[in-house]
Amino acid sequence: MTDVSRPGTPGTPGTPGTPGTPMPSGPPPSGAALRRAMGQRTVVTTSTGLAFAALEYLAAAGLVTYVAGDAAWIPILVAGLLALLAYGFFGELNGMYPTAAAVRLYMKRAMDDRIALTITFTYMTTIVLVIASDAFIVGSALAHAFGEPGWVASLWIVGLLSIAVLSNLRGITVAGLLQDAATTVVVLATLVIAVVALVRSGHPLHTPFTPLHGHHATDLVEAVALGVFLYSAFEWVTTSAEEVRRPEFIHRGMAMAVGILAVVCALATIAMSHTLTHHQLTSAYPQLYLGIAAVGHTGLWVMAGVTAVTALNTFNGGFITASRFIYGTAREGSLPRALARLNDRAVPWVPVVVLGVTSLVVALLVAVSHGWQVLVAVGAALEAMIYAVAAFCAVRLRATQPDAARPFRVRALGVVGPLGMVLFGALAVIAAVSVNNHFNVAPALIIAAGGAVSAYYVLRVLPRVRAKEEARRAATPRRRPARGGVT
Amino acid sequence: MATVEELCEAFADWRARSNDNPRLIKMVKGWDRVVHFATTDTAQGFTMRVQDQALSELVVGHEDQPDVIVTGSSEDFCDMFWGDLNPSEKYMSGEITLAGSQQDVMRIDAISMVAFLDH
Repeated sequence: MTDVSRPGTPGTPGTPGTPGTPMPSGPPPSGAALRRAMGQRTVVTTSTGLAFAALEYLAAAGLVTYVAGDAAWIPILVAGLLALLAYGFFGELNGMYPTAAAVRLYMKRAMDDRIALTITFTYMTTIVLVIASDAFIVGSALAHAFGEPGWVASLWIVGLLSIAVLSNLRGITVAGLLQDAATTVVVLATLVIAVVALVRSGHPLHTPFTPLHGHHATDLVEAVALGVFLYSAFEWVTTSAEEVRRPEFIHRGMAMAVGILAVVCALATIAMSHTLTHHQLTSAYPQLYLGIAAVGHTGLWVMAGVTAVTALNTFNGGFITASRFIYGTAREGSLPRALARLNDRAVPWVPVVVLGVTSLVVALLVAVSHGWQVLVAVGAALEAMIYAVAAFCAVRLRATQPDAARPFRVRALGVVGPLGMVLFGALAVIAAVSVNNHFNVAPALIIAAGGAVSAYYVLRVLPRVRAKEEARRAATPRRRPARGGVT
Repeated sequence: MATVEELCEAFADWRARSNDNPRLIKMVKGWDRVVHFATTDTAQGFTMRVQDQALSELVVGHEDQPDVIVTGSSEDFCDMFWGDLNPSEKYMSGEITLAGSQQDVMRIDAISMVAFLDH
């Protein structure tokens, strides 16, 4: 991959109004630097923090069932290399469309808009899943830490999501510095607890280089599919492309985040496999047991606190990303206008409430059914799917817009692009039919249902929504005076 | 292409509607910002300030360090200020670009939408 951006070099403005033309890249044409802009550190912590949800611990522990535990670092590393492949695609696409609306833009220009919208809506369900699972995991972890019965976790879930919705409605967001601190605490605490747990276990690693010990080769492939999920959402930082000090911070930040995630997840997974029992690994809070294994009861509270902090990033990033996207899509005319209603703090309150309620329902369903591993599989499959789509878009746009400015280019895209499509496509299928190392089509059915609802909306409902919007606009007289004084 | 006079006239109308709108006045409470507009077709710059819950007059040229930079064609800006154009649609199609925090970008869109809600 090649980074050809040059700091301080003005980008080539596109020609507004011409479909298919990429957006201006490089510094803003006003020539002035933004008063408040994200630096490299905040981009890295945002990317890492978005990926490091509480679900990370469950996915990491779940991965141990697929390979010999001490060798879990191998599928995590392989998944990390695949994530770097995805980083290349997102880096190139984000360079072409440095905007929060990038996913809409590059998909719309690489494929039929109806397909693009169907995929985008299906992908958006990942955000609901992550918010819901984080609420469930944090609720379960806090209930366990406080020694409360299991059903109290549901009260925590309601409380956590209510706080998240209310603070979003009030326009409260996590500032960059707080986000830096939160992610740093989560990453460092997890690293330290994992290392201490390993050291205090008192016995060496058993099978650090033999992942297939007692397992089949297909298990390793499934472990890689699940491993991809450990990096999921690192690319959401591309929605911050409009607020960075320099455009190249985004793709550099994503690469650094993938590296950090690889190290932390590999160490945490090895430590969990080395120190926890099967029962602890398959619980809803393996990270708490890891804390106990490291430093006793103090460790439990440390990891309970860390788990709660992960929710800060997930709720902040998830609610903002999804609600603003829904708002933008509604304003564009692709979703009902009701979803673009703003409260007095300029917050799109309908999407925030809808997200909160949907996440609450999913989280409570998970709490009742204990089906979080299905949620992990759904997330892994959707993430692999969107990586395959990103590969397709990068390849397609190279063909249709060969001369477009690309501040960041993937080298040998003709080879790695199709390779990415095949690999991520295959991993998506594998993840969709595997739960806890057993064949299970539940994730595939959930994704198919989500896709079907999205497709129904796009093909049947959307034309009516657009026709209604067109009629409304046609009935609105033009206010701008005609040139020459004739109105 | 819209002339500077046309843009200023359109902005004056937008400003009057915004500053007379009780909901918008509430919406920009505590949101004091400097906004730069940059035209891609005429290579001109304009500055708008939001201060004490009111939009300032449009200044030709870029002044001060901006919190938000909006880039688009002079025609699109003109239509947007008159309320004839939905800036979100142009934004989602990549014809209007923005630089600034997501919250600030939302406020700009909110102003453009709420100012014409009765329309």
